Amino acid sequence: MLRASILRARPALRPIAPGARPQRRVAQRFYADGKKLGDTTIPNPSPTVSPTNASPVENAAIPPSDVPKPPPAPEAASATRSAPVAQPATTPPTGPGSASVAPDPQPPKPKKRRLRRLLFWTVLLSTLGYAGGVWYSLVSDNFHDFFTEYIPFGEDAVAYFEEREFRKRFPGRAGQPRLHPQVRGENKVTIPGKSGLTSRVADHDGSDLAAKGPHVSAVDANPQSGPPAQTAAPKVGSDDPATGEPKKDRVDEKPTESASHHLLPKDEKKPEPAKETKAPAAAPAQPIMPIDHLNVPQAGEPVVQDVVKIVNDIITVINADPSRASKYDSTLEKAKSDLGKVVSDINLLKENLRKSAEEKIKAAHSEFDAAAKELVQRLDHQMQAQETHWKEEYENERERLAQSYRERLQAELDAAKKVYEQKLKNELLEQSISLQRSFASSVRDQVEAERDGRLGKLNELSSSVHELEELTAEWNSVVDANLKTQHLVVAVEAVKAALENQITPRPFITELAALKEIAADDPVVSAAVASINPAAYQRGIPNSAQLIDRFRRVAQEVRKAALLPEDAGVASHLASLAMSKVLFRKSGLAVGQDVEAVLARTEVLLEEGDLDAAAREMNGLQGWAKVLSKDWLSECRRVLEVRQALDVVATEARLQSLLVD
Amino acid sequence: MADESPKPTAPVPRTTRPMSEALLNEKWDRCLSSMLIRSGLGVSFGVVFSVLLFKRRAWPAWVGLGFGAGRAWEECDNSFKRTAAPSKDGLRVMRP
Repeated sequence: MLRASILRARPALRPIAPGARPQRRVAQRFYADGKKLGDTTIPNPSPTVSPTNASPVENAAIPPSDVPKPPPAPEAASATRSAPVAQPATTPPTGPGSASVAPDPQPPKPKKRRLRRLLFWTVLLSTLGYAGGVWYSLVSDNFHDFFTEYIPFGEDAVAYFEEREFRKRFPGRAGQPRLHPQVRGENKVTIPGKSGLTSRVADHDGSDLAAKGPHVSAVDANPQSGPPAQTAAPKVGSDDPATGEPKKDRVDEKPTESASHHLLPKDEKKPEPAKETKAPAAAPAQPIMPIDHLNVPQAGEPVVQDVVKIVNDIITVINADPSRASKYDSTLEKAKSDLGKVVSDINLLKENLRKSAEEKIKAAHSEFDAAAKELVQRLDHQMQAQETHWKEEYENERERLAQSYRERLQAELDAAKKVYEQKLKNELLEQSISLQRSFASSVRDQVEAERDGRLGKLNELSSSVHELEELTAEWNSVVDANLKTQHLVVAVEAVKAALENQITPRPFITELAALKEIAADDPVVSAAVASINPAAYQRGIPNSAQLIDRFRRVAQEVRKAALLPEDAGVASHLASLAMSKVLFRKSGLAVGQDVEAVLARTEVLLEEGDLDAAAREMNGLQGWAKVLSKDWLSECRRVLEVRQALDVVATEARLQSLLVD
Repeated sequence: MADESPKPTAPVPRTTRPMSEALLNEKWDRCLSSMLIRSGLGVSFGVVFSVLLFKRRAWPAWVGLGFGAGRAWEECDNSFKRTAAPSKDGLRVMRP
C-alpha cells in the first residue's frame, strides 16, 4: 500500500524536476550575465585591449572576488551602461539576434575554458610527474625499475638522462656509445683482412750499423718523414752554426757525424770533410792548411788526435770566414808548431807515470816476498811445536797403557789366589762339621740310651699341666659370658629406670646406644633395638602416669564429641557439646560399645596397668572420637613397642646366662 | 626427684601439627573468629548501604549481619564436615 502510494506520488514528482532545472539554468544564466558585465566586455563590438588584458592577470594572481574592481574605462563604462539596456531583452529568448549576442558566447566559453584548463593542468601535471619520475628514477634504483617497467617511454627517457650524465662524467668516451652496438641489434662490425699485425721479414737495406737509422739516433726518425732538405737545414745550423752555409750540399753525410760521438777517432772520415772545407774557402783568401793528424808525432794517441781535431775545427772555422784577412795565420802557425811541444810534454808525463808505476810494483813485490817468507817461517815453527807436543802425548799414553795393564794383571793374580784360599778353607770347614755331627750323634745315642725312663715321666707331667691350663681357660670364657649378660641386664634395667623415673618425656638415645654397644653383635638385641620407632627414642616416651594423665584430657574432648552423628555440621557439634554436659558418666567395666562405656573401660584398664588392652579399647572408637584420640593412641603404641623391645632384650640376656656352660 | 629433673628436657611444643585432642577446639576457635569478622563486615556493609541508599533504615544492617553470619556458618559447617571423614588425598577413586 505504502509502496503503491510512493509510486503514485513519483510521477507527480517527475515533471517537477525538469521544470525546476530550466528555472535554475535561467537563474544561473541571469546571474552569470550580471557578473560578467563587470569584468568582461565581450558583447562590446569594439573591445579595448587594456581591461581584457588586465583581467586575466588579476585572475591568475589574486582571486577575482577579493580584488576591488578597477574603475571601468570610459568605453567599458559605456558598455556597462548599455548592458542594462540590453538585459531585459536577453531574459526571454525573443529574437535570434539578441540571443546570439549576449547569452550564446557565454555558455561555451566557460566550457571551453574549463576544458582548456583541464587539459592544461593535466598536461602540466603529467609533465611534472613524468619529469619527477625520471629524476627520482635516476636517484632511486627501486623506483627506476618500477618506472622503466610500467611507464611508457620511461625507459628511453631515463636512458637518455643517464647517457647525458655519463657523457658529462667521462667526456673522453663521449663519442662511443656505452653499450655495444650489437646489443641494440645493429650491423656487425667487419674487420678488413689486411688490418692488424702481419708477420713479415724485415728488409735489410742497410745491414751495417754505421749507416744512419733508428739505432744510431732517434733524432733522425722524424726528419726522414718530411722533406729532407728542409729538416736538415736547421739541424746543421744548430750543431755548428758557423759552417751552416757551405755545408748545405753535404747534408746527407753530416748529420750522422754530428750526432755521433765527437770523442771517437774517425780516421777514415775526418780528413775528407776537412779537405773539402778547404776547397770552397780557398776562393776568397789564403786558406790555412789544417794539420794532418796522421803525420803528427804520436798519432796513435787519442789525446793528440783530440787536440789536432780541435785545432782543425778552429782552422775550418777561420777558413769559412770570408771576412778574415790572414790575421790569424801567424797565431795558427804558432799553434801548429806548439802541437809538437804538447805532444812531447804528454810523452814526458807518460814516461813519468810509467816509472812511478814500476816503482810501486817493485815495492809491492818485495813486500809480498817478505810476507811470504814470514808466513813460511811461522808455519815451520807451528809444525815443529805440534810434532813435539804429539810426541810427548804419545809417550804419556804408552806409559799409561802399560801401567793399566800391569795393574789389571796384578788384580787378577790376587783374585785367583784368594779364590784358591777360600776353596781350601771351605773344604776344611766341611770336614770339621761332619766330624762334629758324627760326634754329637754318638753322644746323643749314648745319653738317650741312659735316660729313657726319666724323660717319659717329664712328658706326662707337661701334658697334665696343659690340660689344666685349658680347663682354666674354659672357665674364663664362662666367667666372661656371665659378665656380658650381667652388663646386658644392667643396661636394660638402666633403660627401664630412665623411662620410669622421668617427669616429662625425654630422649633415651644414650641409654639405648649403651645397650646396643654392650650387646656387641647379638642379632636378637640389634633386631629388638631396630624394631623401636626412631621417633620414640629421639623424642622420648611418656611413662604410665603421664599416659593416664593425658588420657583424662583426651577423654574430656572425646566425650564432647561423643554424640556426633556421621558427617556432622556446626549445629550437631553444638548440640553434642551441650548434651555431653548433661550425660551420665559410666564407671567400671561398663558394657556396651558407646563412647562413654569405652572410655570408662579404658580408664579402668589403664589404672590396672594393662596398657595393651586400653589401647585396644580406644582403637575401637569411631568417627570424631577416634580422630581426637589418634595422638594418644600412637603414643601408647610407641610405649608398647619400647616395652616389648626391652622385654625381648631382657629375655635374651636371661637366655644367654642360661646358655652358658 | 622433682627438683633434680633437668628443666630443659621439657618437650618443645610443635607448632606444625596440633595435638589430635585439640583439633576440635581449634576448629571452634576458627569458626568463632571467622563468624565475628564476617558478621562485622556484613554489618558494616549494611550500615554503609543503609546510610547511602536506604535513608538510615535498620534492616540493611540486619541483612548484612545475616549475610556475614551465614557465610561464616557455612564455612564452619564445611570445615567440620570435611575433617570428620578420613581424608582421601592421594587415593584413587574407582568408579563402577
